[in-house]
Amino acid sequence: MRTTAAIEMPRLGAVYRRAAADAALDRLRGRGATAALPERRVVARHPGADRSDVEAYRRLLGGEAFDGTHRRSLPSVFVHTMGFPVQMGLLGSEDFPLPLMGMVHLHNEVDHRRPLTVDEPVQIRVGAEGLRPHRRGAQFDVVTEVLDDSADPTSESAEVLWRGVSTYMSRAVRLTDSEGAADGGSESAGRGSAPSASDFAPPSKTALWRLGADVGRRYAKVSGDYNPIHLSAPTAKALGMPRAIVHGMYSAARMLEGREPEEAGHRWSISFAAPVKLPSAVVFSARPAGPGATEFAGWSPKSGRPHFTGRLSLGTVGTD
Amino acid sequence: MAQANARDAVIVGGNRIPFAKAHTAYTDVSNQDMFTSALNGLVARFGLQEQRLGAVAGGAVQKHSKNFNLMRESVLGSPLDPHTPAYDVQMACATGMEAIGSLADKIRMGRIDSAVGGGVDTISDAPIVVTDGLRSILMEANRAKTTGARLKALAKIRPGHLAPQAPGVAEPRTGLSMGDHMAITAHAWGITRGEQDELAAASHQNLAAAYDRGFFDDLITPFRGVQRDTIMRPDTTAEKLARLKPVFGRDLGDEATMTAANSTALTDGASTVLLGSEEWADEHDLPKLANFVDYELAAVDFVDGAEGLLMAPAYAAARMLARNGLTFEDFEHFEIHEAFASTVLAQMRAWEDADFCRNKLGLDRPLGRIDPARLNVNGSSLAAGHPFAATGGRVVASLAKMLHGRPGKLGFISVCAAGGQGITAIVEGR
Repeated sequence: MRTTAAIEMPRLGAVYRRAAADAALDRLRGRGATAALPERRVVARHPGADRSDVEAYRRLLGGEAFDGTHRRSLPSVFVHTMGFPVQMGLLGSEDFPLPLMGMVHLHNEVDHRRPLTVDEPVQIRVGAEGLRPHRRGAQFDVVTEVLDDSADPTSESAEVLWRGVSTYMSRAVRLTDSEGAADGGSESAGRGSAPSASDFAPPSKTALWRLGADVGRRYAKVSGDYNPIHLSAPTAKALGMPRAIVHGMYSAARMLEGREPEEAGHRWSISFAAPVKLPSAVVFSARPAGPGATEFAGWSPKSGRPHFTGRLSLGTVGTD
Repeated sequence: MAQANARDAVIVGGNRIPFAKAHTAYTDVSNQDMFTSALNGLVARFGLQEQRLGAVAGGAVQKHSKNFNLMRESVLGSPLDPHTPAYDVQMACATGMEAIGSLADKIRMGRIDSAVGGGVDTISDAPIVVTDGLRSILMEANRAKTTGARLKALAKIRPGHLAPQAPGVAEPRTGLSMGDHMAITAHAWGITRGEQDELAAASHQNLAAAYDRGFFDDLITPFRGVQRDTIMRPDTTAEKLARLKPVFGRDLGDEATMTAANSTALTDGASTVLLGSEEWADEHDLPKLANFVDYELAAVDFVDGAEGLLMAPAYAAARMLARNGLTFEDFEHFEIHEAFASTVLAQMRAWEDADFCRNKLGLDRPLGRIDPARLNVNGSSLAAGHPFAATGGRVVASLAKMLHGRPGKLGFISVCAAGGQGITAIVEGR
C-alpha cells in the first residue's frame, strides 16, 4: 500500500524558484536518471475556492455568472488549479527524479464525480505513477484526487469527488521499454497520444478564439501558475521557447466553458499537440459525438496544425 | 388571417434617407440626426405635423449609451406632437421588423390607432468604448469617497488600458464574424460563387431600374445632398463581380465563395414606416397601401454549429405559413434580406430541401421553390446597403408600395439577425 504524507499547501512561487535553481544545478552535475517515481502520495488541505478567485476565472473565460443559486458548481479546470500547487509540490520535491522545468503537459483527463462549490474545504491528494517511455524521453501520470474535508486521505476507500490525471513528458531521461514496464506502463498503454499534424483533418469550425499577448499572464493570475514560459516572450525565451505559450489548461477551460453540468458526474479529456504561441488565434470546433458526448479540436488558422483535441462525456457515458 | 377578429394594421407609407456606404457621406452624422431626418420626411409626406401618434418605436444596433431614448429624442426633434410616446427596440438586424411588427400588433388589438416604426444605424459614428480594465478602474474611482482613494484607484491605469475598443463585429459566443458564420452555412448547402454573384448583380440592376422608374420618389427624401443609395452600382454584372477575391471563409481555400460584392457593405442610414388603423387612415385621408398581416420570430441553436447563424428565418417561415394556411405559391413578392447573397440562397435551398423540411421544420413536404422572378424585384441590401436596424423599414415600405392597388395579393419578408435570430412577415396589398 502506498504511503500518504500530509503536507502544507505548497506555494507555487517557492516551487518554481527551487525548480529553477535545480535546473541550473542539473546542468552542472547531471541528474541521475533513475527510473523510479516516488511511491509516496502527498495530501494537503485546501480551505475551499475563494469567491473572488472564481469570479476572476469567470471574467477571463467569459462564462455565465456564479450567482450562488443557478451556477454554483466549480468548473473542472478551476478545481484543477486548486490542486495544481500540490502537484507541483510533489513534482518539485527533492526526491522527484525528473526536473520540473522543461516538463511538457501532454494530456489531461478528469472524472468530475461530485459538484464542488465555493468555500467548501477539501483535501487534495496527489501521486505520480506510470513512468513509461516516450519517443522524446519519458512520460508519467500525476493523479490528483479531491476528497471531502472529513475523508481519511490514507484510505483507498475514501470517496473521490474529482479525479484528474495529468500526463507529463520529460526529456531528461530516456527509458527502455523494460524499464517502463517495470513501472507499470508503456507508451502504447493508455493516455497521452497527442493528435499528430499529419493525421489531423480539421472539422467544421464553430468558433474562433483571439488570444492576446496577455492571456498567459491573465491565466497565471487566475490559476497561480506563473510558469515563465506562459508570461512573456523574454521569460519564455529564457526557457527555450521563441514566444510565450498559452497554458494548456486555459485551452481546456475555454473548451469546457458553458458545457459542464451543475450536478457534475461528467468526464473529459484533452490531448495537447503544438503549443499555442501568444498572441495568436485558435480555430475551435465542438461537435456532437454520440449521446451526451462532445468532441473538440483546436488548431492554427494559419498552418492548420492541431493544438489540441478533446472530449466531454456527460452522465455515465465513459470517455475511453 | 392569424386573428380573424382583430382589425387590420394598415401600412400607410414610408420614408427613408438614402443609405450611404460607411465612412463616406454621413461620417459626421449621428443616429439621432439620421432618424430625425427620416421622421421629418415622413411627417411632411403625410401631414403629421402637430399630431399625436400612438407610438414611435425603433432602434439602432450600434448605439451610444447617451442615446438611451433615441426614439423619444427624435420625436422631440420632429414636428410631431410632443405628447407622442416613443421607445427603443433592439433585435440586431431584425430591430426594424420587430418594431414594426409589434406596433402592428398594438394597432390590431386596438391599443393604438397610429404608429411609426423604423430604425437607424451608423458605422461612421459607432460607439467606441474603453477596455474592461479601464472601466473597472474608473468606476472604482467614481465610488471612492476620498481624494486619496480616488487617486489610488486612478494610479492603477496602465498604457494598455487606454486602447479604445471598437464595437465587435464577431458573434460574442463564437468569436466568428457573421461572414465567417455564413461561409460555413453556404459551404454546407453547396451555394456556388456563380449564383451568389448573379444574385448580387441582380440586386444592383433591380435597384437601379426601380430608381429609374421613379419607384423610390415617394419612399426616400434626400439627406445631406445625397439623392440615391450610394452603394448601388447600376452597371455591375456577375462577370465583373466574378473577379473579386473571397473575403469570408478563406480557410475553405478554393471553395471560398463570399466576396465584398456578394456580402453587404457596412452602411449608414435610417428608415421609417407609418402604420395606422383603417379608420385612422380614413379620418386623416391617408393612403392605405397594404396590411401588415402577421409576423413570426425564430431563433436557432448556432453556438456549436447545430444550425447556421442566419438560418432562423427558415424556421420562422414554416411556422408563419402554417399558422396562416399559406404556401409560397400564394405570394406575389418575396423580400429576403440580402445580409449576404448566400443567406438568401441558403434559405431558399433549405425550403426546397425535403430532408431539411422534414427533419428540421417537421413538415411532410418541402415548402417549395421561390421563383427568382418574384424575389427582391426592386433590389435589396446588397445594392441598397444595410444600416442594420433600418433595413426592416426599407423592406416593409417598399413591399407595401409594390402590393398597393392589388388587393389580397401577398408579400413575404425574411430578415435574419445576429445571435441566430430572424423574423418573417406577411404583407397583403389593398
